[in-house]
Amino acid sequence: MLFPSVEWFQALCDAANANPERFRRLGTVDLVLVAKIDYPHQSRLFEIVFSGYHCGGVREVSSIRAAREGAVILEGPFAAWKEMVANIKANGQADLAHTLNTLTLYDTPMRVWAESQLDTDLFYRYQQNLQEFFDSASHFETEFAGPEATSVYN
Amino acid sequence: MQHYSPAVEKVLDHMSEVRSGKLDLSWMNSNPGGWGVRATPRDERGLGLEDLNQVGTYGDVPDYGGEHGSMAPRGAEVPPNTPALGCYDINDKSLVWADNVALLYDEAVARQWSSARDIPWDKLKPLPDDLEKAMCQLCTGLTEVEFIAGDMPAKWMWHINHDFHEVKCFLATQIADEARHLEVFRKRALANGGGLLKASPGSEQLLRAIIEAPDYTTASSLMHILAEGFVLTLFRNGEMLALSEVEKKIFRLCMQDEARHVAYGTMHLKYFLEKHPERAEDIHEILRQGEEAIFGLSMEPQTSEPRAILAGGGVDHIFEGMAKLSYLYTKQVREYLHRLKVAGLDRSSRLAIPLELPS
Repeated sequence: MLFPSVEWFQALCDAANANPERFRRLGTVDLVLVAKIDYPHQSRLFEIVFSGYHCGGVREVSSIRAAREGAVILEGPFAAWKEMVANIKANGQADLAHTLNTLTLYDTPMRVWAESQLDTDLFYRYQQNLQEFFDSASHFETEFAGPEATSVYN
Repeated sequence: MQHYSPAVEKVLDHMSEVRSGKLDLSWMNSNPGGWGVRATPRDERGLGLEDLNQVGTYGDVPDYGGEHGSMAPRGAEVPPNTPALGCYDINDKSLVWADNVALLYDEAVARQWSSARDIPWDKLKPLPDDLEKAMCQLCTGLTEVEFIAGDMPAKWMWHINHDFHEVKCFLATQIADEARHLEVFRKRALANGGGLLKASPGSEQLLRAIIEAPDYTTASSLMHILAEGFVLTLFRNGEMLALSEVEKKIFRLCMQDEARHVAYGTMHLKYFLEKHPERAEDIHEILRQGEEAIFGLSMEPQTSEPRAILAGGGVDHIFEGMAKLSYLYTKQVREYLHRLKVAGLDRSSRLAIPLELPS
């Protein structure tokens, strides 16, 4: 499956929804997360909606402004995303150096932010769920689109 | 022949009347305005406190709690002879409320975890002495401070009018969360060949300020926004510094709980200041005191050095670690200021501590 793509993020959603007891054990999530993959001359943005125990769906958006209000942005260069996903696949889950928190704590190589600090704090409030959500990428093969990949919005 | 008190005799007389067929049943016709409701869950997450507040008038939270002063549930008919408990002196909604409190309670009960069952203790590995000591000192400090967020809510909870049960229920979950934090850090210190190390006088200064705060809102501002906001970043730091999956999981789960507490505190302060803008200076003053205390605590050797050792990868690299922590300090302060901004309080020009540490 090609990263990044709606299908790739939808596969994570499908994995979460197919295993409701796993996520029920972790607790509810109410969050709009935008995964922003940065290339030298463009970015691709994928909005993922979480509601309760359910991953509601994925869509590609043209910009942060086009995302739902209150969205939390998880952004980083393509190389950082690729390394994280490859690490998850190689190890079955993110290793100690590649968890979402570790990659974002110093705002490099990835960063998490929102318009309001209260929304940014949602990323911390649901951290275990989000980590296990991305760790689901270990269950399928990922093909990485190169730096010349284009968005549907180009 | 046994003699009973007049109160017991009265009950025995009533039981005789019931046996002879004289029933009351007036309670079946009480509270007619509150009858016929049907609370339903909004989705698959089940029936939450938030859902109960959508039916009838049960979600109408009064600006001032019932004067009956009892634990009669909000929305029930309160008989005239109901005795007051004599303890509810926080009766103004604005002194405790947050618009997200019912939602946060529902989230809290859905996200409870067990330090016995949910931490992979079997994945602990022997560590070099300096790293194990650093981790144990970090855990000593955390197990010391965490239960302030149990003691503070407990101090105020029984003063809060029962009409604000959502707040009391949320605070009860916070007490449970902090009990779990106290025990999980104690467990980590004692589970890998180390032990508890040195307690922190600096911590006790801050904890005392929280316990001695003159009212609930000043205590909450100091604890939920300042202290727990700083600890939230500390938990994020702990997750990053984790030497195994054990610490990763501990800090990640604690981070979730802490962020929930911070969310309540931020929105409570917002609600409070909207109703009492004249009290802003009181909040500024308590936060000034808290900022100075937390700055002193942060620089205490038993607080800063273990984290620097873990960040640097060993005592030989402690100065590299300190440089990394300097960035995090600024992040902690910025996020704190941003949360206060959400709450409607601007301390950016009044901060009592540096925004950045001197290099």
